[in-house]
Amino acid sequence: MGQLFSLTYPTAAVLLAIRHGHRYGFDLMDATGLPDGTVYPILRRLERRGVLEGTWEDEAAAQAEQRPARRYYRLTRVGEASLAEVTERFPALVRAFEAPERA
Amino acid sequence: MDAPGFRLIAWASRLVPPARRADWRREWEAETAYAWRSLRRGGSPSPLALLRLRSRILTCVIDALWERKETMTMTGLFNDLRFATRSLLRYPAFTAVAVLTLALGIGANTAVFTLVDSVLIRPLPFRDSERLLALGHLGREGQDQLPISEGLYLLYQKQASSLESVAMYGPTVVNLVAEGEPERVPAQSVTPSFFEVLGVQPAIGRTFTAEEGRPGAEPVAVLSDGIWRSNFGADPAIIGRTVDMNGTAYRVVGIMPEGFGHPNREARIWTPFVVDPVRAPLAAFAAQGIARMAPGSTLEGVRAELQGLIARLPELFPEEGQATFLQGVGLKVNVLPLKQAVVGDVGRTLWIILGTVGFVLLIACANVANLLLVRAEGRQRELALRVAVGAGRAQVLRSFMSESLILAALGGGLGAAVAALAVRVSSGFVPSDVPRMAEVGVDGRVLAFTGAVALGCALFFGIFPMVRYGRGDLAAQLREGAGRGATGGPEHHRLRNGLVVLQVAMALVLLVGSGLMFRSFLALRAVDPGFDVEGVVTARVSVPSGEIAGRLETAELFRTLRDRVAAQPGVTAAGLVASVPLGGSYAFGSIEVEDVPRGPNELPVFAAQNRADEGYFEAMGIPLLEGRTFQRGDGAEGFRAVVVDEAFAKQWWPNGSALGRRLGRNGPDDEWWEIVGVVGVVRQESLEAEPQPTVYFTTTMGPAGSPAPTRTLDLVVKTAGDPLQVIPVLRRELRDLNPRIPLSNPRTMQDVFDSATARTSFTMAMLGAASGIALLLGLVGIYGVVSYIVSQRTREIGVRIALGASAPSVRRMVVRQGIALAGAGVGLGLVAAGAMSTVMKSLLFGVSATDPLTYAAVAAALVAVAVLASWLPASRAAGVDPSTALRAE
Repeated sequence: MGQLFSLTYPTAAVLLAIRHGHRYGFDLMDATGLPDGTVYPILRRLERRGVLEGTWEDEAAAQAEQRPARRYYRLTRVGEASLAEVTERFPALVRAFEAPERA
Repeated sequence: MDAPGFRLIAWASRLVPPARRADWRREWEAETAYAWRSLRRGGSPSPLALLRLRSRILTCVIDALWERKETMTMTGLFNDLRFATRSLLRYPAFTAVAVLTLALGIGANTAVFTLVDSVLIRPLPFRDSERLLALGHLGREGQDQLPISEGLYLLYQKQASSLESVAMYGPTVVNLVAEGEPERVPAQSVTPSFFEVLGVQPAIGRTFTAEEGRPGAEPVAVLSDGIWRSNFGADPAIIGRTVDMNGTAYRVVGIMPEGFGHPNREARIWTPFVVDPVRAPLAAFAAQGIARMAPGSTLEGVRAELQGLIARLPELFPEEGQATFLQGVGLKVNVLPLKQAVVGDVGRTLWIILGTVGFVLLIACANVANLLLVRAEGRQRELALRVAVGAGRAQVLRSFMSESLILAALGGGLGAAVAALAVRVSSGFVPSDVPRMAEVGVDGRVLAFTGAVALGCALFFGIFPMVRYGRGDLAAQLREGAGRGATGGPEHHRLRNGLVVLQVAMALVLLVGSGLMFRSFLALRAVDPGFDVEGVVTARVSVPSGEIAGRLETAELFRTLRDRVAAQPGVTAAGLVASVPLGGSYAFGSIEVEDVPRGPNELPVFAAQNRADEGYFEAMGIPLLEGRTFQRGDGAEGFRAVVVDEAFAKQWWPNGSALGRRLGRNGPDDEWWEIVGVVGVVRQESLEAEPQPTVYFTTTMGPAGSPAPTRTLDLVVKTAGDPLQVIPVLRRELRDLNPRIPLSNPRTMQDVFDSATARTSFTMAMLGAASGIALLLGLVGIYGVVSYIVSQRTREIGVRIALGASAPSVRRMVVRQGIALAGAGVGLGLVAAGAMSTVMKSLLFGVSATDPLTYAAVAAALVAVAVLASWLPASRAAGVDPSTALRAE
């Protein structure tokens, strides 16, 4: 697979966090523990490259909670494929994300 | 519903490009609102949690900036430049021509600016140099330029409160003997205050103490960094040791820092200028004066105070006859800022040259602008397409500007390299009388200038496509332009024709300038200097009194040297003179004419004076008109003979012979000198200056009882063969006589003559190169426009030929267009050149600034060039095949 984006540690962390069900910008900041200012630029870049896909959550659900609809991110097929490389290159990171799930 | 942080998000969203803005803001607001709700759901939040959320919201600015940057790089300036580069690369020939033209123009400007900046603009390299002054005097209503005398120096030093310190200095040359080898070294004798006035500290050791500037002190010396390195191996232990100069032991007390020197960096050793406070003469103006103004004083203040002191001279020095004498000549103080005094009159030449290369740059820019316009036309379809897919006018114009910027940047970069090279190579050609050459170099200021010039160029030629497409409905213009049989519109023709007319006009101004300089140069070369240049060498010999104290022995050494040189094979004549013509020095002095006694209150007659003896006039080829030249036995100790030139003889004895008449030097009571010969007039001072009536005394002067020899004389040798081969012979002969006296500055009279025309030939070369480039660019400009017109009118020409127009008539029609353009340019140029003639006047010699011949020749040359430039396109037009032309497009 051609190098679509440079797979840095923060990028890998964001991809893994999304894989593990964290989908919103602020949630991803909490889940990855990355500095707040770095997460959104990573999301923007990955979305532009087609690794992620951003979607607005259901208006009705948000209305029910009297708040605006949030934008969530999920992996595209390309993103799913890139996880193989994440697993290969950052095994410790993968373990760190899996640990709390088991707990 | 507003949550805390929404204001910030709204503000930051303005950074986000419009297309993304709404979504971006919505996402951040949603996240923020959700976060606040979650935080409050668990009761009242801890201050730490609040702070964390607030700081998280703050990062929206980072995200917004990231979005902005990303969009910018995609569609903004960066993209423009990338696009422009690609489009320039698609037309390599155009790009190369444009860049080279600009590099030439910008390079020439940078090189000349380097010179102007170093010589004229930058302050002198001394502390608070704006407070430094040159102190001089004027006598007899400005007829006499007098430097400063020891008496006046002491007076100003003591009394002038507007001056912080005053110093005197004078050039000298010392015979430095180190390890047995004598060497003539340029030096300066300076008052101890010299270093203080200039505000320079020695690098090692000290400068002179006040005591060392008084009689009877131990001889001391300060060395320049250069001689310390070259002759003393940069050994700091030289401080305190003595060196042998002029046969005297001088103790070295200090080393000056590298690059120090005033008024240039020639002096390599400084020795104290000894002033006797008791017997300092008031009226012997023997040295140059400089001063440092006291803080707060002004030039006018200094002038007024010193003039006031001069007015009080008789009162301050009641017993001095000299004070009254100075009053008699109407002594005036002449105070100038030191920089102005150092730079002198070279400024005008340099500014004119800078103006000249500025013109060249304008012409180059006009050329590039024209090329860009041609190219813009070629790209109309492409541009129309871009507009059609939604590019705004701003974007199209920006792409023009980006191309201009890239061209200018490339031209500027290459130009700076050209300039650095030119400055390195040309510093050898700059005439030696241009001051401060040692300070010249390309530096940050110069590069800033280059940058500014390049940017100016980009704006200049970038503006033309803007004018062309900047108004009205761009899409409509482009549709029209890209359509069939486009003519470009009359307005567009006007723009391009105007540029060519301007180019031709500027080229004409430059050609007139260089034509006038060329005629000056010819006139200068045609001046009869009054002596023969061929086969003559000259070299200076100086006998310090420390070496040979005896007066008669000194005179004898010179005489023996002359005889031995004259006896060499190949030498046809040899003689000695105090200063060779055009050699840079000439003297004036008062003369008494026995036939014309002067009254007690009358000022003495001033005349140019030189000293020569046996063989000089013969060696120099100066014609003898009457009587005889000097011979053995003439001199203060023998027969007191003088030779005068024709001008002097005519001035005093217009109707009779000057032979046998008598002249005196030191008042009517002195012994008289008899005129034995009349010789031809010689240009002693310069080729330009009218020669002054001149009197030649012998090389020994003074009373017959104790004749004083001249201690520095120029040996002049006429040879039958190659004059340079004589120089080693001269060295050998002098070494045989006294190995401690060196021969200095040997050169041919041809060299002396050439350097007298150096400034004119330098200016001529600069103007010539500039106008050559201008002519070439003008040729290219006319060619470009005419061929463009032909290509636009191919259909029309085809119709004409089909209707029976002959090939010559078509050719004539096209050439006429070229001539019309050139004619308009020539007309405009003649007016401009006439208006600028006053600027040139001071540089010219023997030709009027409005010389009709030059103007006519240049105008004719430019029209001829126009014919030449339009001939090719004209031939192409004449060869148009009507059927093809009509079918095309």
